[in-house]
Amino acid sequence: MAAELIFNCLVGLGIVFFLVQAFSLPQSDNPGDVLGAGGFPVILGILGLIVLAVITVRVLRQKSKVKVPMFDLGSLDGRSLALNVVLLFVYIMVLDVIGFVLSTLLYLPVAGWSIGYQKPLRLALYTVAVTAVLTGVFGILFLVPLPRGVGLLRELSYIIF
Amino acid sequence: MDVLIQAFGQVFSPLSAVLVVVGTVFGIVCGALPGVSTSLAIILCLPFTYTMAPVSAVVLLIAVYVGGACGGSISAILIKTPGTPEAVATTFDGYPMAQKGQTGIALGLAVTASSFGTIFSALVMLVAAPLLAKVALSFQSAEYFGLGLLGLSCITSIAAKDQMKALLSVILGLMISTIGIDSINGAERFAFGQPFLLNGINYISVMIGAFAIAEVFKNIEEFRHRDNTLREAKVSIKLMKFAEMLKMWATFVKSSIIGVIVGIIPAAGGSISSLIAYGEASRSHAHDPIKFGEGNPRGIVAPEAANNAGVGGALVPTMVLGIPGSPVTAVIMAAFIIIGLRPGPLLLREQPVLLDSIFLALVFSALLLFVGGRFVTRQFGHILKLPYPLLGPLIVALGLVGAYSLQNSFYDVIIMLVFGLVGYFFDKFHYSNPALILGLILGELVENSLRKQIIIGDGSAIGFVERPVSLVILVMVALTFFWPLIGSLLGKGKVRAA
Repeated sequence: MAAELIFNCLVGLGIVFFLVQAFSLPQSDNPGDVLGAGGFPVILGILGLIVLAVITVRVLRQKSKVKVPMFDLGSLDGRSLALNVVLLFVYIMVLDVIGFVLSTLLYLPVAGWSIGYQKPLRLALYTVAVTAVLTGVFGILFLVPLPRGVGLLRELSYIIF
Repeated sequence: MDVLIQAFGQVFSPLSAVLVVVGTVFGIVCGALPGVSTSLAIILCLPFTYTMAPVSAVVLLIAVYVGGACGGSISAILIKTPGTPEAVATTFDGYPMAQKGQTGIALGLAVTASSFGTIFSALVMLVAAPLLAKVALSFQSAEYFGLGLLGLSCITSIAAKDQMKALLSVILGLMISTIGIDSINGAERFAFGQPFLLNGINYISVMIGAFAIAEVFKNIEEFRHRDNTLREAKVSIKLMKFAEMLKMWATFVKSSIIGVIVGIIPAAGGSISSLIAYGEASRSHAHDPIKFGEGNPRGIVAPEAANNAGVGGALVPTMVLGIPGSPVTAVIMAAFIIIGLRPGPLLLREQPVLLDSIFLALVFSALLLFVGGRFVTRQFGHILKLPYPLLGPLIVALGLVGAYSLQNSFYDVIIMLVFGLVGYFFDKFHYSNPALILGLILGELVENSLRKQIIIGDGSAIGFVERPVSLVILVMVALTFFWPLIGSLLGKGKVRAA
């Protein structure tokens, strides 16, 4: 129940922030546009708070337990998931720095291993094959401008795609 | 006729024909894999479509849709695990048939019913879409506001497990849709001077996050506990004798009609239509020698015909009104916009070849289900052995390419990650990801048509009830929204009377 209440509080804070911003939006110059730029967001914000209050009261009454493995780092599932969220975050952060090819070559084996794949040779082959296929199909065949990285890595990427 | 010939030339050009084959097989494979839904399969195909010609892109996505709607039945029959939510009802009789050693016949029925449902819905779509487009040309802001609300109220009442949480999900989606420049008076809203927010939040990134990334997170914690044991080493499709199948013609037709109707209703989808069709078949044939739930063939025909018939049905409001009939068609609608097609009543006039191309792609895919279905089923043992630790990171990498290549923007990838986490928590706390997405997609339509109608009325909202069609739609909105409440009150009344 605690996890859901924290979630509801975060959603509530978000809606209150949205509502405060909506009240400060300018009125329309058109007299017929009675709602203006802020009217619709204000209606949504108020409705959102009412519905959230009803949901929260119900959560408090039902006292049902919701298991969120991501927060249970003592379990294998929880550790694996939390590690993968961090890995994805790092993957995205380094994407523009070291480029798509290198970041994918690093991400795929670490992610696969962290989820539970225990065959290193197969994982390495799979990583190289998937990276080559993704780069070939998107970067070369479909001319999708994949991230190239910076400096020397950027120059090197032009050799590949 | 010229248009049909032109469409035939485009769909059966070497590239498009290959795309239909690849799309159908890819859809079946993804549908069969527990943890990879049809919407996820279409999202994974999106990056491929960015540089394609519109018709090629559309036929690929349609083929994946058809294949995915059928593919879920394979794992439902073989391992009692529906590959997609649409195949839940197929498990009830499909798995018992497999346990009796009738796996091949069960798979054959699923494929036959899916193909029949798809072709039936393609014919309905071909007739209904132009008619609806003609009617929709007379629609003004008041009607569009009502239709937008209808889509949102359906997803909060019909398609949701928890109405209040689905309603909050819709509201949050609508709130996110207001970020960016206000298209009526040009005011900057919730952008905080950040250029990437001025154009609003790209809903493809949100979809990739909420559907694909959140699904990967969910599967990482679930796949170890899943029983994916295949009972038979080799499986192949066996088609029932035509005369025996003909005895079930009423189930085929009735279920397809249910599928099309539920598909057309905004926000309802294949999972609902398949359950309704199953319920109807079990009611109509309650005295069959083989009971429902114990391996009755009609228990496979009904849900499979219905969920595939929903494909054509759901495409009608998506193309003609710009209101997606299901989360899957929301992804297809997004793809339409990316490739330069603007869904709405003028779409069929501006793109006369499009409707016929979709029709031909649906029929072609349906016929391919036999061939592709047989091939994929034989390979199913290998497909099922694909370990999730390899599949999950691949889905993430594909999602990342899809989000990044939308606008070559790093921010879209960040949005994907944020909504991946939002989608994960939504799933944990029983909020609705499809409702959030539909709110985000329909937000602009709902707000703009509301304000435009009020401006037309010089500050008055009376136009919404003065226009008859608008009034009817608003009454439908109220009925669909309050239906769960009315239903529970009626139920209580019956209990008291008893």
